[in-house]
Amino acid sequence: MSALYLYPVWLRLWHWLNALLFVTLLLTGVSMHFSLNWLIPFDLAVPVHNTCGVLLTVSWLVFLAGNLWGGNGKHYLINLRTLPRDLIAQTRYYLYGIFVGAPHPFHVSADHKLNALQTLSYVGVMYGLMPILILSGWAFLFSTSLPETLFGIGTVWIIAMVHLVVAWMLALFLVVHTYIITTGETPTTNLKAMVTGWHKEESGG
Amino acid sequence: MFSHPQPDSRPGTQRLAIGPRQAARRQTLTQAFLLALLVLTGSAWANPSDTVAPNTADPAAALASSAPMPKEQGLLKEDSQDCMRCHWMENMAYRDRETGKIVNLSIDRDAYSHSVHSELACSDCHDRGFSHYPHRSSSADEALNCVDCHEGRQDDGAPNLIGLKHEYDKSVHVTEGVEAFSCFSCHNPHTFHPARAGESVVDVVAETNNTCLDCHTELLTPVPKGHEWLPRPQAHWGSVRCLDCHTPLEGRIPERPSHNVLAAEDSNRLCVECHSKGSALLSQLYNYRAEQAREQDGFFSQAIYNDAYIVGMTRNPWMDRIGLTVILLMILGVAAHGLGRYYIRRRQEDSK
Repeated sequence: MSALYLYPVWLRLWHWLNALLFVTLLLTGVSMHFSLNWLIPFDLAVPVHNTCGVLLTVSWLVFLAGNLWGGNGKHYLINLRTLPRDLIAQTRYYLYGIFVGAPHPFHVSADHKLNALQTLSYVGVMYGLMPILILSGWAFLFSTSLPETLFGIGTVWIIAMVHLVVAWMLALFLVVHTYIITTGETPTTNLKAMVTGWHKEESGG
Repeated sequence: MFSHPQPDSRPGTQRLAIGPRQAARRQTLTQAFLLALLVLTGSAWANPSDTVAPNTADPAAALASSAPMPKEQGLLKEDSQDCMRCHWMENMAYRDRETGKIVNLSIDRDAYSHSVHSELACSDCHDRGFSHYPHRSSSADEALNCVDCHEGRQDDGAPNLIGLKHEYDKSVHVTEGVEAFSCFSCHNPHTFHPARAGESVVDVVAETNNTCLDCHTELLTPVPKGHEWLPRPQAHWGSVRCLDCHTPLEGRIPERPSHNVLAAEDSNRLCVECHSKGSALLSQLYNYRAEQAREQDGFFSQAIYNDAYIVGMTRNPWMDRIGLTVILLMILGVAAHGLGRYYIRRRQEDSK
C-alpha cells in the first residue's frame, strides 16, 4: 500500500468551496434561465447567482495565486512532447483497458498528480472557460457601461450567448469530472484523496 | 379643515412675512456698521426682502453661508407668492358647470419644487388675465403649448420636444381623435419630472403605468381586457411599462419612451422580443432597469443586487436544445460506462 499527501489543506478548502459556488451558480442559473420557480424562486436566484459569481471570481484568483506562488502550478504544465502519446494511452484506457483490467497508464506521484487528459481538461477549464465565464458574468453586471451594440448585434445578447455556451460546457465538465473521479483504484479512491489530502492505493504506485 | 397642517409650506409663508421685521431689528442694533456696509455694498440691505431666502429659517445654514442668497425663482418669486396665497390650499377646486367635474386648482409646493419646471414662476407660463380675482374663466383657456414653449426657451435649457411631437402625432391618441387630448392629458406640468435617479424600478414603472390607467380604468381588473393572452398580467404590469409593448420596436432610444402610443392591434405581442432575442427592446429594457437600480444604491452593490434580469433573456431555442442534448448524451454515456465497469468487475469477481 502506498500513501501520498497530494492535496494540502488550502487546496482542498479551495476545491470544495469552488465546487459549492459552482453548483450553486449552476442551480440558480438553470432556475433563472428556464424560469423554474419551483427549483429556486426567481427573486432569490438572481441575487444569489450574482453574489456567487463575484465569489467565484475571488475563488479563481485564489486558484491563480495558489498556482503562481503556492507551488500547485507545476501540475498544469503541459508536456507537449509526451502529450499525444499520453493522451492516446489515457483515452485507450478509459474506452477499453478499464473494462479488461489493464493497468492504469498513469501513476500518481507528488510531482505529477494529474494525467495528460486531466491536465489538458483542467487547463482548458480553469484558464480558458472559467475566465470567459467570469468576464461575461461581469459584463452582464456592468452592461450599461458597454456599447449598445457590437457588430450590429445587441451587446447584451452577445454576452448572454457567450455566458450560456461556456456555462453549458462547464456543466458538461462537471458531469465528466464527477464520473471520472470514480475511475481510481476503487470508485472512492480519488474522492477520499480530495477530502483527506492523502492518495492511498492498495497495490502501490 | 382650514388649519390643515403644511409643515413644509406654511412656515415658509410666515418666514417671508417676518423677514423684513427681523432685518429692521438687526438694523437698529448695528446702525453704524450697517451704514458703512450700505455704502460699500449698496443694494443688499436697501431691499431687505431680497435677503430672505428659504434657508434663513435654518440658523446653521444661515451662519454657514455668508455668500449672497440665490435670486428667488419659481414659487418663491414675489408674484408667485401672490398666486400661492390661494393655490397652495389642497381643497382649492371648483366644479365645472358644463362637465360637472371637479377641477383641481391646488398646486403641491413640494411636488412643484421637485418638478422640471421648478425654476419657473407662475407668471412665466400664466402670463395674462390673472390680475383680477376671481379670475375670469377665459383666463384658463390660454393656449399653453409645450412644444412651442420649449422651442422658444431652448437657450434656457428647455429640451427640444419636436421629436416627441412627431411621435405623438402618429399615436393612437391623435389618429383616433380622442377628444380634448393634449400633452396635459398625461403630463402635469406642475409635477412632471423624468424618472429620478434613485427611484426604484418598481416605482418608476408604477408611476408611468398609472398615467395610462388614470384614463384606461377599464383595465383595472385582475385579467385586463385585451390582455387575456398575456401570462401573469399583473406581474408584467408591476415590472414593465405599458409603453414597452405599446410603442413601436423600431427607433427606440434608451433615454425616454416613445410617444407614438400604438393601438392595441398594432402593439407588440411577441414574447421573444423581451424574453430571448437580443432585440432593441431587450437592450433598452435591460439597460434602463440596470441603470435605475445602479443609481439607487451605488455602482458596485447595485450591479450585483439589481433586478435587471429578464426571464429567458439568455435563451435561444437552438442553444438550449444542443446544450441539453449534449449534457444528456454525456450523462447516458458515463452511466453506460459505469454500468459496463460494474458488470465486468462482477463477472471477474465471480470467475475468481
